[in-house]
Amino acid sequence: MELEFRRRDYGATQKSQCLPRSQALKHPLSSTLASRQQQAKTVRGSDLDFFDPLRGLDVNDSAEEKVEDTSISIEAVTQDLIKEWKSLKRVLMQRFPVSKVISFSPISNIIMKGSKVEAPSALSYSEETGSEQTSLEEPAKIINQQEYIAKVHELREGINCAWQAEDRVTSLKLSIKVTKLLMDTTVLQFYPTVFVIVTDMLDMLGDMVWERIKQKAEVDVNGTVICSLPNDFQSSNICLEARETCYNWFCKVGSVRELLPRIYLELAILPCWRFLINQPMEVLDRLVMMVRGLADPLASLYCRLYMVHRMQKFGFCSSGYLIKCIKDIEDVLAPVLVDKEGYSYITDDKKLLFSLMEPAIEYIMKCLFLTGRQENNVLGMLEELGFGRNKFHSSYNSSHVSILLHHLLKELPSELVSSLAMEILDMIKCSNDCSFSQVLNYRLLGNRLSEGKSQEGFLSSLIDEVIQAASQYQSLYDYLRIMDAYVDLMLQNKMENHLDALLDDMVSLARDKFLSEEEQSSLQSIILELSHFENLQEVLPLNHFIEILDLMSGTSKSSVNMHLLNMGTRNGCICDSTTVQFLFEVSQALYDATDFVNIKDDDNRQTSRLISRFVEMVDYGAEMERHLMFLAECREAFSGIHELKETLVRSSNTLAVKALKAGKKHINFVKSCLAFSEVTIPCISSPTEHLNLYLETAEVALLGGLISHSDGLVMSAVEYLENVAVTDGLKSIDVDSMASVVCKLCSLLVMIPGNPEKGVMEILKSIFSATCSSSWATPRLKVKIFCAIMSLLSTLSQDNLPYHSANPEIIGNDLLFFGDSSYKQELVSCTQLVLSELLDAIEQESSQIARGNMALEACNCISSALVMNEKVTELCLRLLETAKGCLGANDRYIESTKKSLQL
Amino acid sequence: MVLVLALGDLHVPHRAADLPPKFKSMLVPGKIQHIICTGNLCIKEIHDYLKTICPDLHIVRGEFDEDARYPENKTLTIGQFKLGLCHGHQVIPWGDLDSLAMLQRQLGVDILVTGHTHQFTAYKHEGGVVINPGSATGAYSSINQDVNPSFVLMDIDGFRAVVYVYELIDGEVKVDKIEFKKPPTTNSAP
Amino acid sequence: MSNFLDQIESIAPPYVSNLFSYDHDINVEFEIAGFEFTQEPVEGKIVIKSATSISHQAIRLSVNGSVNLQVRGGSAGVIESFYGVIKPIQIVKKTIEVRSSGKIPPGTTEIPFSLNLREPGESIVEKFYETFHGTNINIQYLLTADIPRGYLHKPLSATMEFIIESGRVDLPERPIPPEMVIFYITQDTQRHPLLPEIKTGGFRVTGKLATQCSLQDPLSGELTVEASSVPITSIDIHLLRVESIIVGERIVTETSLIQSTQIADGDVCRNMTLPIYVLLPRLLMCPSVFAGPFSVEFKVCITISFKSKLAKAQPKSDPTAPRLWMALERLPLELVRTKRDQFSC
Repeated sequence: MELEFRRRDYGATQKSQCLPRSQALKHPLSSTLASRQQQAKTVRGSDLDFFDPLRGLDVNDSAEEKVEDTSISIEAVTQDLIKEWKSLKRVLMQRFPVSKVISFSPISNIIMKGSKVEAPSALSYSEETGSEQTSLEEPAKIINQQEYIAKVHELREGINCAWQAEDRVTSLKLSIKVTKLLMDTTVLQFYPTVFVIVTDMLDMLGDMVWERIKQKAEVDVNGTVICSLPNDFQSSNICLEARETCYNWFCKVGSVRELLPRIYLELAILPCWRFLINQPMEVLDRLVMMVRGLADPLASLYCRLYMVHRMQKFGFCSSGYLIKCIKDIEDVLAPVLVDKEGYSYITDDKKLLFSLMEPAIEYIMKCLFLTGRQENNVLGMLEELGFGRNKFHSSYNSSHVSILLHHLLKELPSELVSSLAMEILDMIKCSNDCSFSQVLNYRLLGNRLSEGKSQEGFLSSLIDEVIQAASQYQSLYDYLRIMDAYVDLMLQNKMENHLDALLDDMVSLARDKFLSEEEQSSLQSIILELSHFENLQEVLPLNHFIEILDLMSGTSKSSVNMHLLNMGTRNGCICDSTTVQFLFEVSQALYDATDFVNIKDDDNRQTSRLISRFVEMVDYGAEMERHLMFLAECREAFSGIHELKETLVRSSNTLAVKALKAGKKHINFVKSCLAFSEVTIPCISSPTEHLNLYLETAEVALLGGLISHSDGLVMSAVEYLENVAVTDGLKSIDVDSMASVVCKLCSLLVMIPGNPEKGVMEILKSIFSATCSSSWATPRLKVKIFCAIMSLLSTLSQDNLPYHSANPEIIGNDLLFFGDSSYKQELVSCTQLVLSELLDAIEQESSQIARGNMALEACNCISSALVMNEKVTELCLRLLETAKGCLGANDRYIESTKKSLQL
Repeated sequence: MVLVLALGDLHVPHRAADLPPKFKSMLVPGKIQHIICTGNLCIKEIHDYLKTICPDLHIVRGEFDEDARYPENKTLTIGQFKLGLCHGHQVIPWGDLDSLAMLQRQLGVDILVTGHTHQFTAYKHEGGVVINPGSATGAYSSINQDVNPSFVLMDIDGFRAVVYVYELIDGEVKVDKIEFKKPPTTNSAP
Repeated sequence: MSNFLDQIESIAPPYVSNLFSYDHDINVEFEIAGFEFTQEPVEGKIVIKSATSISHQAIRLSVNGSVNLQVRGGSAGVIESFYGVIKPIQIVKKTIEVRSSGKIPPGTTEIPFSLNLREPGESIVEKFYETFHGTNINIQYLLTADIPRGYLHKPLSATMEFIIESGRVDLPERPIPPEMVIFYITQDTQRHPLLPEIKTGGFRVTGKLATQCSLQDPLSGELTVEASSVPITSIDIHLLRVESIIVGERIVTETSLIQSTQIADGDVCRNMTLPIYVLLPRLLMCPSVFAGPFSVEFKVCITISFKSKLAKAQPKSDPTAPRLWMALERLPLELVRTKRDQFSC
């Protein structure tokens, strides 16, 4: 029995099945304007709520600024400080890791003698107070850091145990022993770790003593509650006995001979002074002074750190103490900074020392400003530290140790940074010592100023001075590093003159010079700052911009180029020809700096993406010829970038469509575009892209009514498919996308008139044979393609095709072969051929489930393409049986297929 | 009430620089619960832009998509509806209802959303619905160089769905709506 | 009353006396108040714990206070024959009967007592010196309970020390007027030889110190290193106690180091004021006493140690002894008892 195609009336079906539409007066997106405002509001709102832990207080501050009250609650501060202290401890432990083996001085050897303490009664009083003497001749022992820490933890455990056993003498003695570890600064980088372990222990001891005395004050020996102490109790509320006990603790601690452990231990039990006196001001004054007795700069700084921590924790802190502390630190550092001859130069030891000091200084400065805010007296505090003085005494030397100045500036509230900027600048000028780089301080000032919203008039003279100061540095690197921090400020405040001056300077300093890598990266950073501009067009006219760009080389240049390219392409079409030219050169430089052929890494991918994006974004508007020339130039210039080929073809195709829209007179230009695409496509490596672009170009040719072009392009595609079919080297073919390209080709063929000279079915047959013979075609792919061909054949047999080319010059096969029985006959015989191959392909599939689904796919296709005569029905039933055998009778797809067959 | 945005065939940046500004201003974050996209975006930036409108984004692969990881087909269930998604360049002939019905059966979905023709259509077929949101940028198609930008917003509520069609015609956004219901139970072979 | 069981927190020996038990089953203990002041009666209770009942003839309580002087030798020029020859000076000795003969039931029995050390009309031979345990001088007050039980049983007895501090009434109020002594320590104030580099390089340390000081107050003052060409390694404040006894026609003096307190560790900054702050250790100090046959005085010794190789080689013995690398300054210190009211820092 003959096969017969099912008759279709596409137009009628569409009309009858079309869902009725009506105009919608209200729709879900209609109220967008209102909701957008709301949206914007919530976004801004959440911005305010955003809590950056680092700048958290500034936020607080700015919120309260309006009411002129910058004070903050003690609770908040305490909470913050607990966090700060925790993170400081982490920093100390992590930033200064210690080499595995350390040799310790005899002081630390005490600890290694074991944690056992002889029975207290056996010791004379002076021994009991812990003034153990070690012979200094004892050789330094070498132990492992882990062992050391383990030992300290063991001691800490001992303290706890003894305390639990009410043996407080032993507890205290062990504590003294552990505290003495801090006297040893021989292994500098281990000091922070020891500090953290020891102060943890001391905090613990302090808590235990506090609880103990508090309990004595609240409960008498018989266990009767005397009173319950309020948080703000007075010393007069405390019974004599508790006070005796408390005083005794201070006596015991005070009897330790060595200064350092004595201070630490008193700090540990510092809060207990409250049982004895209401306002321990004198105590704090004395402690601040006592620390001065520690000559070692590191030990004394860390001791002050612990002091500040303890004062803060118990609300004893006032800016007065902190200022004294900071001044003392300056005095202690002075001899470290300057050697006997009066020179300040950095050595490795000093570098290490300052790096160890930095976290402590940072913490103390933080506390200073927190306290200052709490007291609402930041300005007064700054005056104490020497700010504002030179207004009255111009000769006053307001020099500070750079590292302190740095951290002071870092913590200074931003509004004060602006108002004190000139003065800070003077201070930075005066403070040039080895504890911290002056350059970095200049930078910090710039960065801090950029944070604020300062629009002050002083900026101009300030930047003048900074430029002057920066030019005094011998190295370009320093100059660049400083100025880098001010670029943003100049941009924010639209200080074009300064910017010009800076760029002038940069060029004259860097010209004819070999630039080091560091200098390159500074230049890079400055140029990146300029990306503050929204648009590349604003950057390009800057003085010397191109010249500075030319100064750069290597990776810095590439990353600047990438940045510029990114900036140039992010705002839509690039129409300005200068910009296009500039970016083309940038791209070329990037291209020249990259090896696209041999290296395929992420950076290269990024570069090729950017260059492709640039080419895509270029728009010459009405100058279409110029645009095509540009594409040709790009093809030439960036021949190594595969990805770009695709872009070039697609751009040229789009250009052709644009020309078509512009009118018939451009047909020759369209042809040029098509030619450009046709020539470019063969360079594309990916088979599917290759085919897709042939098809797209063919579609464009059809739109232009250029039948011979489209024929040629489709033929090229088919030839390529045949070539791919015989090469089995191409293992990387994505079978699914290959199938969908071929399917697309089939749908495209609906519009392409058959060529009676070459045979109407020629293209179809080529696809068919290429598929049959291909080495890589899986059964699944074959089924897909054969079904596609069958659907196409059925479509071609209709009296009215579902669609035609938009170009009226292209006549569809329905008109071309209207009433031609040999044409229909050929379609039928073709179908027969395909059908048998289709059935074979299904049998070839090894996976049951896949085979079942293929059978159903074929069944659906056949029933949709052909009239259900006896033979076809039988065929379909067979396929359904196969599917049932593979998928089981209850499969949903089988159900729906059966239903559609109406069997 | 669930809002599902369906769009596709943007062809950015090759055939169009970007979505029409009038569409962009309507598509604000926070309104839409799901986006289904029929493919051919083509670049990652569009993907990222869509993510900002709604993070629940479902995309199938068009022949020009940069990202080869998008699947050929995708199904998802929203409310009482099962939705299927496919670009449509693989359908022969393009946009044919019978062929789409085959795909609908294969995927087992109530609503099939496809693209490629750059022409909005909505049909009911064999108890299901077939929707093509058109091209959101008005990119030229295989068949036609003059295309009106369009997209679709589906408001799905249980068994009911309202499809809003947004078309940009001569610079004005025209909105139509189509309502349909899913028959309570369409089940079992005869 | 209280028993300061934690040793670290106690300021005196245990207030509950250790048991003086002669019989396995019977314990006699005392419980008395923390401090006794000379105007106040000694109050407390005798605690008897026994498994069986005890018959006794009476329960007596005696108090005995005395100054024991002893020359232990060690000090220069003391002849051995002095050893132990000095007769103790009796301050107080009296006995009272707290219970007449009778029977104590089994279990714990508490017998409270109150004993006036000085009856209003009573004239005393000696002053009630404060309790003091020194090297050569011991001023001690003991309470003894005796329970005689006839011939068949051993008598029971318990003794404990109690602490005497000066009464409240006649004491000066705090703060006592500061008597600051200003001191200068330079290479020229040293009476012992110094290393040449220290001598020629020179140094100058100045400061002030309160030389009259309440026992409840810390020793306080300040110190400033104004100059020193040789680096300083340590500055220490030593508290010295000087006990003197008249033996025949001679005075035997014993100086002991009570406590050393470092106030500078390392080469401290010049012209920075360092505080001198020493809490006085409680039991080792007492008010300065100048009695006829004996005296207890105190001194402060400031030592400045300079960096020197010699210092390392020298074994540490007496830290206040003059050395080539050390500068010394001794200052007298008068300690007085003041009213107990509040603590100072």
